[in-house]
Amino acid sequence: MDIKITEQVDNLLKDNGVRKEEILDIIKKAESSGQKLKSKDGNTCIAKGASENLTIYAVYSATELLDVYAHKMNILGITGGEIKPVEYDDASDWICAKCGEVALERNVDMSYLGVTRPGPGLVCAKCGEMYVSAGMAKSTLKTAEAILEEKRA
Amino acid sequence: MPAQDYIPIDQNWLGNAGKLWTTPWVDKPSDRVIVDPIILSHAATLFRKNAGYFYSNPDEAVRMVCAACELYDVTPVGHYLYADYWGADYGAEIKIQTNAPPGITNRPIKTAEDVDKFEVLSTEELVKGPTLATHYKALDTVKNEYPQMFAPITQLGGTMEVATNWASIEDVFMWMITEPELVDKLCIKAGDHMVNACRATAERYGANVMITGSVIASGDLMDREQIKRFSYQPVSRAVRKVLSAGAGPGVYYHLCGNHTDDFDLWKDAPMSPFTIVQIGYDGQKIFPTSKLVENFGDRCTCFGTVDTKLVDRGTPAQVYAQAKEQVLAGKDSPRGFILGTACECPTNAPPVNVHALVRAAKDFGKYEKF
Ligand SMILES: [Zn+2]
Repeated sequence: MDIKITEQVDNLLKDNGVRKEEILDIIKKAESSGQKLKSKDGNTCIAKGASENLTIYAVYSATELLDVYAHKMNILGITGGEIKPVEYDDASDWICAKCGEVALERNVDMSYLGVTRPGPGLVCAKCGEMYVSAGMAKSTLKTAEAILEEKRA
Repeated sequence: MPAQDYIPIDQNWLGNAGKLWTTPWVDKPSDRVIVDPIILSHAATLFRKNAGYFYSNPDEAVRMVCAACELYDVTPVGHYLYADYWGADYGAEIKIQTNAPPGITNRPIKTAEDVDKFEVLSTEELVKGPTLATHYKALDTVKNEYPQMFAPITQLGGTMEVATNWASIEDVFMWMITEPELVDKLCIKAGDHMVNACRATAERYGANVMITGSVIASGDLMDREQIKRFSYQPVSRAVRKVLSAGAGPGVYYHLCGNHTDDFDLWKDAPMSPFTIVQIGYDGQKIFPTSKLVENFGDRCTCFGTVDTKLVDRGTPAQVYAQAKEQVLAGKDSPRGFILGTACECPTNAPPVNVHALVRAAKDFGKYEKF
């Protein structure tokens, strides 16, 4: 897989403190294990990896790295302990590539600086893999992390 | 009264109250549970003014609220809101009332056809509208004059609350039976409105708290299936969109009224790391904090309540006894606890009753978990 990285996305890598080799490695692992999310049309994938205290995501197509984002809050598990059916439409726009199941929009417990709270996640009910969408990571979690850093100091 | 007529907030008090208020959100140890009696127009009565005056003068309103926070020793946040937000932006008339929060008349949606034609205002249009103009006047005053008491909120209500500010409650409830799909449409539009309104506050102030939940949509007026369809589901959808749009990260689920039959639904409502759940009543009785903590304590911050009817018309001893029971059951809830009232502090509640509530938190709300 030959992945192109535009200057714009390269800047995103720098902003998130992620090296090019790291992100390519995350994509490579996701491609070989199948552990990734893919869009319903199959054209876009999200791979997840960890680096020290950061969870890093690569959003990519067959040819190009489209987006990079990360969060410091560490995903621990499903809020409430287990995936039970909920009474609203919780189907996301993503599919767990490994299981072929639609990823569900569910709360996941996250921990940062000794504080554990829920956050909006994407969960595969079959294999239990948990992800955070770009929108949630870049807005909700980024602000939450900043507040925790200020208030826990 | 202009700003110079108020004495500056006591910085010692503010420092300590700030610590107490931080604990339920980030688990930073402090002495005891903080109280939030949701003081709005009640603050005006401490200045011998009425609710009408409070809501006609949003800048003075928040000065009175901030002064009341210090006087009562409660959550140090300058709030301003009323239930019937957003009607006026869409053409309804807002009626300032002497002894109650503003109400609205002449709602814009009168027929089923109106629902189809109804267009949700954009973020830019809402910013120019009457609701946010007033809301921002209040919040700007807090930001400028009481910066340490500034924690901006967006008052949304849930989808049924927004919907019934657009169409009369009688019509909406009739359609729920005769044309439920019409109410679905209305609730989707209400959800879209919520996203645009929250985005407006986020763009102006950054991090903020959205107040949502289910007030009209309670067990007093609707059954579980109706609450699920017209409140829980569209509200959940809207909250996710609001968070994705970069608004939040605070989410406050205000489940006013009786929620015996539907409270469990909300356990899986979308949550951010700063989420609080408040439930008013369990049947006719105040919602037991023990039950709240049992169901939500391992999920989010819990807001335990004392009956507003008791705060309004009970004795200090009655308020104190109920507050004691609630605070003992909630104080060490794993993800934080706040003691407050089931809904906003009644305008003309006796101040001694609010004091009794706070005294109970001081006497029985010392943390043991830290
Ligand atoms: Zn899976």
